[in-house]
Amino acid sequence: MFVGSLNISCLILWMVILSSPAVADSGMSFLESYCVQCHGPDKKKGKITLHDLTGDFRDARVADRWVGVLEQLTAEDMPPEDEDKQPGSDERRQLIEWIEAKLVGANQGAAYRKKLLAPEYGNWVDHEKLFSGEIQTPPFSPSRLWRLSPEIFDRRGFGKARSPFTYTTSEKGVRDYAAMSQVDQSTVQMILINADQFLEEREKRREFKELEEEKPMPSEEELRNLIAREFRRVVGRTPSDDEKQKYLQFLKRNIKIGGKLKGFKTTVKALFLNPEAIYRMEFGLGKKDEHGRRHLSPIEVVNALAYALTDQLPDRNQLLWAAYKKGDINNREEVAQVVRQMLDEQLGSGRWSQPALPRIMRFFEQYFGFDRAGDVFKDNDRRRLEGISQWNTQLLIHDAKMLINHILGKDEDVIAELLTTNEYFVAHPGDNEFAKEFYDERIAEITHPDYLKREIAKAEEQYAKRKKPGHVSPEEWEEKRVKWMEEKSKKAERTLKFYSLALAEGINPHPDFPFSDRSRGIADLIYITPYNLPQSGRAEKQKWNWPIEQPFELPKEQRAGILTHPAWLAAWSLNDGNDPIHRGIWIREKLLAGKLQDVPPDVDAKVPTDPHKTLRERLGVLRDERCWNCHHKINPLGETFEMFDDWGRYRTHHFFGEDGEIVMRRDRRFDQLLEEGKLTKRKVNATGAIGGSGDAKVDGEVKDAIEMIHRLGRSERVRQSFIRHLFRYFMGRNEMLSDSRTLIEAEQAYLESNGSFKALVVSLLSSDSFLYRR
Amino acid sequence: MIQRRRQFLKGMSFGGASLAMAPFVRSLHAQASGNPELLPKRFVFVVKSSGIDKFNLVPEGVENHYVSPTDGRKLGNKARRLGPLVDVPLADHKLPEKLSQLEAFKNRLTIIQSLSGEGFSGNHTSGYGALSCHNSEAVAIAPTIDCLLGQHLSAGPYPMYGMSTNGRLLEGGSGLSESYCYPNISAYKAGMPVPFQASPRKAFHELFGASVAPPDQLEAELALNGNLMNFLAEDAKRLEKQLSGDEKERFALYLDSFSSLQEIEKKKAGLADQIKKFAPTPSDRYDSLKPKHRIESYFELAGSALVTGLTNVVTLRPDTLGVQYTELGIRNSVHALGHLQENKATNGMTGHDARAAVEKLHLAGIAELAKKLDAMPEGDGTMLDNTLIVYMSCAGGDHHGGQADWPFLLLGGMAGKLKMGRYLEFPKYRESGHRTIGNLYLSFMEAAGIKPPETFGQTDSNLKDLDVTGPLAELMA
Repeated sequence: MFVGSLNISCLILWMVILSSPAVADSGMSFLESYCVQCHGPDKKKGKITLHDLTGDFRDARVADRWVGVLEQLTAEDMPPEDEDKQPGSDERRQLIEWIEAKLVGANQGAAYRKKLLAPEYGNWVDHEKLFSGEIQTPPFSPSRLWRLSPEIFDRRGFGKARSPFTYTTSEKGVRDYAAMSQVDQSTVQMILINADQFLEEREKRREFKELEEEKPMPSEEELRNLIAREFRRVVGRTPSDDEKQKYLQFLKRNIKIGGKLKGFKTTVKALFLNPEAIYRMEFGLGKKDEHGRRHLSPIEVVNALAYALTDQLPDRNQLLWAAYKKGDINNREEVAQVVRQMLDEQLGSGRWSQPALPRIMRFFEQYFGFDRAGDVFKDNDRRRLEGISQWNTQLLIHDAKMLINHILGKDEDVIAELLTTNEYFVAHPGDNEFAKEFYDERIAEITHPDYLKREIAKAEEQYAKRKKPGHVSPEEWEEKRVKWMEEKSKKAERTLKFYSLALAEGINPHPDFPFSDRSRGIADLIYITPYNLPQSGRAEKQKWNWPIEQPFELPKEQRAGILTHPAWLAAWSLNDGNDPIHRGIWIREKLLAGKLQDVPPDVDAKVPTDPHKTLRERLGVLRDERCWNCHHKINPLGETFEMFDDWGRYRTHHFFGEDGEIVMRRDRRFDQLLEEGKLTKRKVNATGAIGGSGDAKVDGEVKDAIEMIHRLGRSERVRQSFIRHLFRYFMGRNEMLSDSRTLIEAEQAYLESNGSFKALVVSLLSSDSFLYRR
Repeated sequence: MIQRRRQFLKGMSFGGASLAMAPFVRSLHAQASGNPELLPKRFVFVVKSSGIDKFNLVPEGVENHYVSPTDGRKLGNKARRLGPLVDVPLADHKLPEKLSQLEAFKNRLTIIQSLSGEGFSGNHTSGYGALSCHNSEAVAIAPTIDCLLGQHLSAGPYPMYGMSTNGRLLEGGSGLSESYCYPNISAYKAGMPVPFQASPRKAFHELFGASVAPPDQLEAELALNGNLMNFLAEDAKRLEKQLSGDEKERFALYLDSFSSLQEIEKKKAGLADQIKKFAPTPSDRYDSLKPKHRIESYFELAGSALVTGLTNVVTLRPDTLGVQYTELGIRNSVHALGHLQENKATNGMTGHDARAAVEKLHLAGIAELAKKLDAMPEGDGTMLDNTLIVYMSCAGGDHHGGQADWPFLLLGGMAGKLKMGRYLEFPKYRESGHRTIGNLYLSFMEAAGIKPPETFGQTDSNLKDLDVTGPLAELMA
């Protein structure tokens, strides 16, 4: 298989083998053996016939039909599971390779191959083969241009400018793919607007004084310096002498036409549109090796590393830049050393809102997708009815990030920990030392005998600092002051009351973390219902004993890692309920490296409504043969999460009213109905099964999501799938078979280090796939 | 017909420039063929912040479902009373007081109430969601209807043109910005928001600069631009040589954009005569920081941009929540007005009346624009007959109005494709016969000659049992 690869030598080899007479008709005989019985002149299942499919790949219509066969075979959807006569995996693989080679030979299937460059088709590269160890091709990445990401643009410091760069990849996975990053006319237009605005703001600040009309013409040297300054500002590095000369000539021509300032501005616009201000260039300007691969040059290496781990140029990272300056970045070992050093010293450092290595957390966001929790619209009326006082997805996401940070900090058995731990962070800044320090301070402050007096003095002072607007009369101003003081004093009394109440009951009052360098603002515990914890706002008695030191344990039978975290569950839910389909797809693709075909265009995606049935019962329609062919790979995984509602709350039962309709409300009326015996309940059915995972040890039935996750958490398949996704994230592309060695080495590094994520990153970023271009 | 039109045109002026012939070649063709469907079609979206009050939009003599039948007080969000579809001609009813300025256009005005656009989050605004029907408050994830229409209809250099007082929603003193900004209203596609020009002066220079600049300056600017594009193209070609097949293909998009940008400039140059003829006369108002002046300037620029053919779609954002309408004697921000209800604003009006006064200020601009377009003959009628001005909000039918009742005022026409002169009130949210703002946008597409898809944007899971496909039958002529 040669998905999207430039692995021409292998390809030619295959073509030679496959064009030999023995294999030449293998495609036709395969169809005859496994397909035609159902897709022949008699049965025509799904209105598809294959008996009449010829081997003339030059005919585009024939080639398209073969692409259809290819997709069925790759996704292993055909022949259907329950068919007795099944091809062996080698046989299947051979036919896949035969069709692919035929397509290439006949110059067909370009659209299919282009499609496979997208992240959602990463798994279409044969998993077993990738990890088999049989592939000896030395790894490399294609020589390429990679457009800057929106995140990189945002760190460039162009004032109010919006990023002209956007992702075209699906939001449900790794976003930044080189082959899918485009610069088109609208991007260029936006860059020009950015440049205009940037120049205008600076002109207002009189940064271009020397170019004002009444000033004398600057000397050539001054113009050259000006160019160097702007080049550094916009492109991010010092220009070479040649470049200076080139832009100087351009500047002079522009000045001649439009005068000093306009000429200068046009020149700066050219810098904004300089390919280097738009693209990362990875050509491999270093030495060529015996396999025809070229090593990245030292400056290319530090650029690639800087963008792999941060959103900034390499000179903004001390460690990286020092290594480059010292010339310590020439080979695999040296690269590994600097990456190791960066991870050891910088992972987890920086402000909470701006970590030193922001690209690490972004991987987890894109892989798990939990950060999209807020993107799913939830109706306020339904929220209130279902007993969620506050739907604060930002804080749920924050909690999930604290958990990930904690696991990365320990750096042991990371994949399994992420998937299985029942130790969570809730309403906590993540840093225990800081949390304790802040908590103690806050308690001391509030329990001090002078607390109320001090608060009132503080409020007086604050009000005195405010400026009276002209249209407000002094009387009104005084009135406002009195009101303000009343409110402040009430607030202080309330705080004191609830802190005292909590402390008296032996409960740790939540200390209301403000936004600061060390913590995100977390005002209260009003949002914690999704964890099945009792919520409370600032103006009511606290019910939950908030642990100062976290993580803390949640019930084992209720939570297992990120996939049972309310942020993840919300992100993979629908407006009005759970989303077993996308949860199932997530497990299949992200954990099992499974392949799913595109949704057929004629699929009617509507799940029938019926107020008497649970969602799972309503999804029963998908058990129909036509749907089940794909959905059997999805639903048995996704339906295990029915043990949660779409707010992320663990549940054991569904409730039904006297009319037999399902009752979703969880408000006071619900309690009342329950008390009056007007509700009946049925146990939640969260059973499911893992099937066709490629790992016989994990396949089988499960009683719920928790059991499923624990079984998957430590499996080889999941480990390898995780590594494949991390590979894609760092390389900005799908893997090719030739990346096999890189992936195997990464897995070894992980296993040998007792499951260290850092070891995994070091291995990938010092791999041949990362360092060589061809 | 030509004779009649010539007589009509005599002595008439637009934006200070008298005219002698029709502005569009396209329009001439259409007129020659006698087929009004071929006439250019235009849209103006006026998207205010903070909701358009729905309770004072009902014509006299029609039962008002948005107020209490007992005390006449406005009802809360989602509390409108039940009732079947209301579809009455405006000719039989007096317009509500708020719309009195539009009385002269009654036969070309349609008021639409109780379309829903639920499912788009946003406390104060649905952001891009209002025009794209996606949950997309601050990040564009789908094309908006104004951009879709513009890309289809505009033959000029701008698919659409946007002007907005500010990009930010809540913050900011006077709330007026002076340059390009992003009000999160319009987007060409996911991740490609449209920058709006805030400064009328700059918009004037961008659109009509050619009308006032001395020829040598124009020439210099063109030359500089040409110089830039050539330099970039040349520079990029050097790089292109190092690329492989696939990369080359992608890089070509970047490379080609330089020539296509020059095409846009050429298109503009091709309109030079029109621009000179119809450019408004810039005045001090263009630099004023008073919201009223800003709004008047936007409408003036919008009208001229449409007449010259610089674009066929304009989207205006007349205010944001931070704006203070001091010329109305109001020092409260638009946001503060939204929370006053019966309480008094600084000019002594109740919150409701102050909000109505703000809307009237926008409606004055709309009436003025309609008057101007109606004075421009086109085909057998006027430009207004082929232009639809859409007055709406990015936030439904009130401040924090929820999105179950989303009012729209449509003024003008679409070559007879839309039924005008009606008051159309759809059944309440979730009730049988209820329709969505997506259905309205599908109507716009159909009227504009674009084959509409079955649904527009994301569908509302609460309306699973209702038919939310296709254009609004009641609106289509």
